[in-house]
Amino acid sequence: MDMKIGVYICECGPNIAEKIDIDKVIDAVSSLNNVAVVERYKLLCSGDGKKFLGEQIKKHGLTHLVIAACSPREHQQTFMEVCENAGLNPYLFQLANIREQCAWITDNKEEATKKAIRLTKAAIERVRYHTALVKKQIESNPDVLVIGGGIAGIEVSLQLASPDRKIYLVEKTSSLGGLIKNFEKTFPDMQPCQEFIKQKINDVNKNANIQVLTDSEVKEIIGFFGSFEVKVKKKAEDTDEVNFDVGAVVLATGSTLFDPKELSEYGYQKFENVITSLEFEKMNLSGKITLKNGESPKSVAIIHCVGRDKKGYCSEICCMYSIKFVKYLKDKKPDIKVSNFYSDLCIPGKSYQQFYEQTHGNNVDFIRAENVEITKKGNQLNILFKDEKGIKNNLLFDMVVLSPALEPACNTSQLSELIRVSQGDGGFFAEEHEKIGPVSTSTEGVYIAGCSQGPKSILDTITQAGAVSGKILSSLIPGKKIEPEVKVSHISESFCIGCKTCLNICSYGAITFDETKKISVVNEIICRGCGNCVAACPSGAASLKHFTFNQIYQELKEAV
Amino acid sequence: MDKGIFDAILIPMKVPAGDSYVYVLIKDKSLIKDVLPFPPIMSVQGAKAVSSITRLGKGNIKIAAVMRPCEIRATIELAKLEQTNLENITLVSMDCPGVIPFSDFIKDPEKAMELFDNAIKQEDDKIMRPVCQICDKSSMIAGDLHIGTLGAKKDTFFIISNSKKGNDVLDKLDITSKDSIDSWKAKVKEKTEKKQIKRKKTHKDLKTQMGGLDNFLDTFSKCINCHNCMSVCPICYCRLCYFDSDKVKYSPKEYLQRAENKGSIRFLPDTSLFQIGRMIHMSLSCVSCGSCEDACPMSIPVAQIFSMIADETQGLFDYIAGRSLYEPIPLKTYKEDELHEVEDAHD
Repeated sequence: MDMKIGVYICECGPNIAEKIDIDKVIDAVSSLNNVAVVERYKLLCSGDGKKFLGEQIKKHGLTHLVIAACSPREHQQTFMEVCENAGLNPYLFQLANIREQCAWITDNKEEATKKAIRLTKAAIERVRYHTALVKKQIESNPDVLVIGGGIAGIEVSLQLASPDRKIYLVEKTSSLGGLIKNFEKTFPDMQPCQEFIKQKINDVNKNANIQVLTDSEVKEIIGFFGSFEVKVKKKAEDTDEVNFDVGAVVLATGSTLFDPKELSEYGYQKFENVITSLEFEKMNLSGKITLKNGESPKSVAIIHCVGRDKKGYCSEICCMYSIKFVKYLKDKKPDIKVSNFYSDLCIPGKSYQQFYEQTHGNNVDFIRAENVEITKKGNQLNILFKDEKGIKNNLLFDMVVLSPALEPACNTSQLSELIRVSQGDGGFFAEEHEKIGPVSTSTEGVYIAGCSQGPKSILDTITQAGAVSGKILSSLIPGKKIEPEVKVSHISESFCIGCKTCLNICSYGAITFDETKKISVVNEIICRGCGNCVAACPSGAASLKHFTFNQIYQELKEAV
Repeated sequence: MDKGIFDAILIPMKVPAGDSYVYVLIKDKSLIKDVLPFPPIMSVQGAKAVSSITRLGKGNIKIAAVMRPCEIRATIELAKLEQTNLENITLVSMDCPGVIPFSDFIKDPEKAMELFDNAIKQEDDKIMRPVCQICDKSSMIAGDLHIGTLGAKKDTFFIISNSKKGNDVLDKLDITSKDSIDSWKAKVKEKTEKKQIKRKKTHKDLKTQMGGLDNFLDTFSKCINCHNCMSVCPICYCRLCYFDSDKVKYSPKEYLQRAENKGSIRFLPDTSLFQIGRMIHMSLSCVSCGSCEDACPMSIPVAQIFSMIADETQGLFDYIAGRSLYEPIPLKTYKEDELHEVEDAHD
């Protein structure tokens, strides 16, 4: 069959029509080999536009389609669907971006037109070398592995568990609940926390579609979105290993406190009555806030931002729980003196400011301080600091509560290697994109919720858990097959020399080594088509479908 | 071999015709008397020999491979690139006096051998290949055992172990004496420092001579595109070189277009592109062994040029090709935080 390329130029209303001489573009490409038709249209992405394109493909019997319009980010998918509906393989299509890359970047119509001609020609030359790619469908497993039994993991499990979706909730300690178990109340509403978490744990335990594995650790996860094989080991028993398959994995491993011992100036575990925020929560929950000698403290200092400089980030929630501590103390002992030492206050959101202001006065201070150092003076703790004006000062307290930075749970790096999700800032699991992909990761089918992604309040953790559930519900539908990426890498058996360079480069674990043939092999279902192996392969054995050397070369030849 | 430490020895030997030296894998002990660990030429880079034997697996024979330090370093690079398996190989190096260029040797092999012997005795490297004269790693110990002749008393030599494998060999041979190697170290230091100065100067001169695109193209304009440099290079391990593949064969229309753009186009085309491509591909693992320059029929100073490029690219990663089996190879190491100077260049 002869190649028939159809070229359509979108006016994009005035966006392209006013900035580019579209007729000149039509003239420049009309006589190119195999170009069967060149037309302009008002708005190709509109309903009428899509209908027009579909009719044109059929009418002219087009074998290839080039559209000169907007960014592929905007409408590549739209036009690929048009192709599919018209019976043309969507990979035999190429989109030239003459809006963002030509019309919108200059007022010089002549220059914009020249570049639009180049880009359209480049797309035509490229599309000639496209090959039809066929989407594959694979069976998927709707079950989900949730790692971490804190509030994030509990929430995801409860939202996802259903008769056609089993949840495996793996917790390394002996019980569910995570850090929240230690809190009497939550900020800013000061609602009791114990009932809330107990109810949640109860709901999990009652749910027949959730299998809880406590005292357990995930030992192996292999596979890909839709089909992961998981091995979980019970800590105490050497032999007991649980194996199961899931379609998605949720990392909800939470966080732990930075150890203030690393900063000797705070005197933690050196002086009595210097305790961490978590120790304070536990003490408060037990009902009695007391000093080591059993007496009740008359004055308490709360030190914010412990380890912030060392960690390099603000832990977001310490200011708020420190204010909560003020309330705990004042509720129990109205005449107690409480001073907060902070370097910056973080009280964002619609209700936090009011919560903070309620604590003011009545023997409660907020002191902006630098160079805080704790020493012992008699029975009391002496806080040396530099105030806002830079003047050295000191104050005496009975008790000091440290609010240390949050850091990733200790098994984060081990899990990171296990499942190939990298660690980002501060060692927390890295999200796919800070703004547009905050709960997905670079590995498809692996999601993050709660403090394992970064310090977070209970509210934000639950919001994230909801987002993760939504992602899984919409992509891993029981009974529905999944379509893996088709623009994947391929390693030529005859050119691969087996140097294994690609194995280290691939961040998705999509390449394995065939020991008998001594060559690398791509798992097309795991491969996301990033092209790193193609760039790294010294032997030129790796190539990326839809981005072959020749396709790029032909395109570049016209573009530059 | 007598004690069963090794099953075979890989070592250079004179060819029967007497006009060259090649690596042989010796299984018959009686042949050992004919070997010549210090041949006057490097006909085949030893790393290629080791790789040929173990590319498809370690085998179950224990081999002692006696080679020059640069050949050992290339072998180690190939091991890191999975092109050889060193599990059953013990690498034995020695202080290398350098070798004579092929072109000088082949005119009169016997005379060349005489000159070579004399040069060693007088510690004079004038007749050696230019890249040997600027080699600052001729006594570098990267393998398992090293035979040091520098700084040793007449008719004696040092045996220096550099690994557990090396220690095991010495143990089995009952070599326990722990003479000081300070005299060897001092002599090596003196020689290395001298050569480093010469190396820097040569590289500096080369850079002036071939800096800039025009000078670069002039330097390689003699190239006849025979790809000999690539064939003999131990590091060029690809099954099919990109520049021999169809990926760089274009249609007549395209050649005509190129001729039109530049007025003319030389054939065979892309010779300098081949050199640049090879530099990008292998300079991080280049051991400056000089094989390429020996093999160049047009006497382009390829090895000197590549040694200059290699020093700079490896320097970027604090890497020395083949120095250690355990130093990760930059090509295979990905760090998020590196080479910002390159990024900044594009800002």
